[in-house]
Amino acid sequence: MVRDKLIFCYLMVAPAMLFTIALGIYPMLYSMWMSFVEYDLLRIQQYGTPFVGFDNYVEVFSDPRFVQTVSNTVIFTILAVSATLGLSLLLSQVLNANFRGRVALRMAVCVPWFVPPAVASAIWMWLLNTERSPINYLLRDWGVIDSNIRFLTDSTAYGPFSIPMLAIVAVRVWNGMPFAVIFILAALQSIPRTLYEAAEVDGATIMQKFWHVTLPSLKPVLLILLTLLIIGGLGSFEINYIMTGGGPNNMTNIMAVYSYQQAFSFFRFDLASAASGVILILTGFVCVFYIRAQFKGTQQ
Amino acid sequence: MSELNTASPKRSSRGRALGAFTMAAVMSGTIITPASAQSISFWTQPQGDLLVYQDLMNGLSDEFQAESGIDVNVEVINWSVAFNTWLTVAQGGAAPDCADMYWLHSFSGIGGGKYGPQPITAYRDQWPTLEEDFFPGALEDVHWNGEFYGIPWRVDIRPMMYRTDFFAEAGLTAPPANWDEIVSMGQALTVRDGNNTTRWGFSPGNNNPAQTLLPYYWQAGGLMLSEDGKTATIDNEAMRTALKFLQDLVHVHKITSPEIFEKSAVPLDDFTSGSVAINGSMGNSWPSQFDRDYPELEDKWAIALNPMGPENRDSFSGAGYWGVLYGTDQIDACINWIKFLSRQENMQRISEATGAASPRRAVMSSEFWNSRPWQTVMGETLEYGHTSQHATSVWSALASPEPGAVLYDLVYSTVIGNEDIDAAVVAAQARMQTELDRSATN
Repeated sequence: MVRDKLIFCYLMVAPAMLFTIALGIYPMLYSMWMSFVEYDLLRIQQYGTPFVGFDNYVEVFSDPRFVQTVSNTVIFTILAVSATLGLSLLLSQVLNANFRGRVALRMAVCVPWFVPPAVASAIWMWLLNTERSPINYLLRDWGVIDSNIRFLTDSTAYGPFSIPMLAIVAVRVWNGMPFAVIFILAALQSIPRTLYEAAEVDGATIMQKFWHVTLPSLKPVLLILLTLLIIGGLGSFEINYIMTGGGPNNMTNIMAVYSYQQAFSFFRFDLASAASGVILILTGFVCVFYIRAQFKGTQQ
Repeated sequence: MSELNTASPKRSSRGRALGAFTMAAVMSGTIITPASAQSISFWTQPQGDLLVYQDLMNGLSDEFQAESGIDVNVEVINWSVAFNTWLTVAQGGAAPDCADMYWLHSFSGIGGGKYGPQPITAYRDQWPTLEEDFFPGALEDVHWNGEFYGIPWRVDIRPMMYRTDFFAEAGLTAPPANWDEIVSMGQALTVRDGNNTTRWGFSPGNNNPAQTLLPYYWQAGGLMLSEDGKTATIDNEAMRTALKFLQDLVHVHKITSPEIFEKSAVPLDDFTSGSVAINGSMGNSWPSQFDRDYPELEDKWAIALNPMGPENRDSFSGAGYWGVLYGTDQIDACINWIKFLSRQENMQRISEATGAASPRRAVMSSEFWNSRPWQTVMGETLEYGHTSQHATSVWSALASPEPGAVLYDLVYSTVIGNEDIDAAVVAAQARMQTELDRSATN
């Protein structure tokens, strides 16, 4: 009986496992192998794919552009994740309250999620175009600015920050926030009302209820969300590639875009794989941290 | 000849590896109909209106079948996946028997004589009047390493386009004829409102720095590579002259936007919206697009030959061609199909339906291509067409529109970054030579 049940379970899981292996694990392992061989499309017919050890990793880390993309990726991820989480927490609290028009507002918040990142990028490219931006037009009209803001092309750096980087982060937050809001909203609705009632009996203020009831109850969900957002941020591609291609001056270039450029523009699939390997290692760290936290939680 | 008859496997392990990277591209497009003695597969990219193009190609294949008994399965590949598709093909991925292709030099180099474009030099005498029938710039695009690869059928030629309404407003009666006039007219056409420039007088080309640089470098008398494609030849006075001219447009004369090479810059939108008065090297399809999509701009634009540089007035040119792929056992059927397509009457039909300039002289001198002033100028510009292909498989990496490419970095750092031209040219020469040496097959 138990054996039949196990067979049934394996059968149910098998299609998903097969797809995961074929479309996820196999390409990932193949890509890792490519990062340890010479895989230069312009030389492969003549020289094949000789093993080169860590040479590809050494080469990408010797490229100042790559080092900058690692730094950009980390900054981009920190900014996007913290803004998404902070705003989502705030917005989901509002959407969880009882008020007229709540359903309409929930729908409105979800709208950016329906827009594919490629389309969102095209829309925002127009909105942020220096000369034709309606945002610039409004700001000029209101007397806020004298000269147009070069949202996507200003190459002035403020430490590790720049206007194009902030603009890209804003688009990423706009596009990704609904996912986080829905996640948190669902978790908020599963918090028992009795906890809040008990806190009220004890005389807790709104902030105290949020700090001592809401946040602890949301912790498991926030941890998952944080992990997913960090992984998504580290592997982010479309918005940066479409809106700026990493420019101006490499200021918005991130590791996935660098990897794409190495593979498809310069035919260096080995360097592209090494860059992807770095992304894999970084996301691996995040996953290990998450799994350990989960494990500790279960033990407690 | 034996090379032609060597059938290579259509899929290799390397092709599968590439497929891991280009899964989306491969899945999105290209299922091959099994070839038989009377059936060939043919891939092509759309030109002009997609539906019109599909109808045209299907009609031509029906006519060819009625005439020869050979069934041509036409597969139209979207441009968005075309590059990755051909990259996969050149690496041993699924390939058709013959196709409409481009970037011969790069894809041949990547294929290394096993995959991708196959030379058809042995069949060259099937077109006995090739040199007389076609523009020379287009024929350069179908030759590589001394071999002949196919028939050019469309040519990307890039004259200058300008807004006649802005010219009239500024009291200008003729387009710039040389570099000095670009500057003087650009200044007259540039409009500023406080700190903002509402109209830039001149944009040198598109947002690909390498493509933008090429015609100006040629016009200054330079060439990128030695004839055999093995030596970089950019450390010279011509390169310094071209870069200085472009740099001054941005930083001294301030008639060119410093944003021209950013991804968010869309040259067509800039021109149609009136943000730019002159585009020095317009997109090939712009005139027909203007006729179709921008009726409100009728009589407000015109095209002209590229202005004369210090040495000549060469124009950017690149041809798409019909050729045969390694791995096919249908070479004769493919040659017949290409011969059919390359008939003058068929090239005329294709050119008229797609709006694409033809590399065939007779088509460009036909009534259709001379009924409007811009069409006549397109034909005239072809005489100054300079191929954008270079005899090395590493060319598309050198001229990639992405940061990190040798020419991108050279142009961006000097023209936009206003960095020292001498130092940048010396560094670029060294990097370019390293890249050329990297390519084992050039």
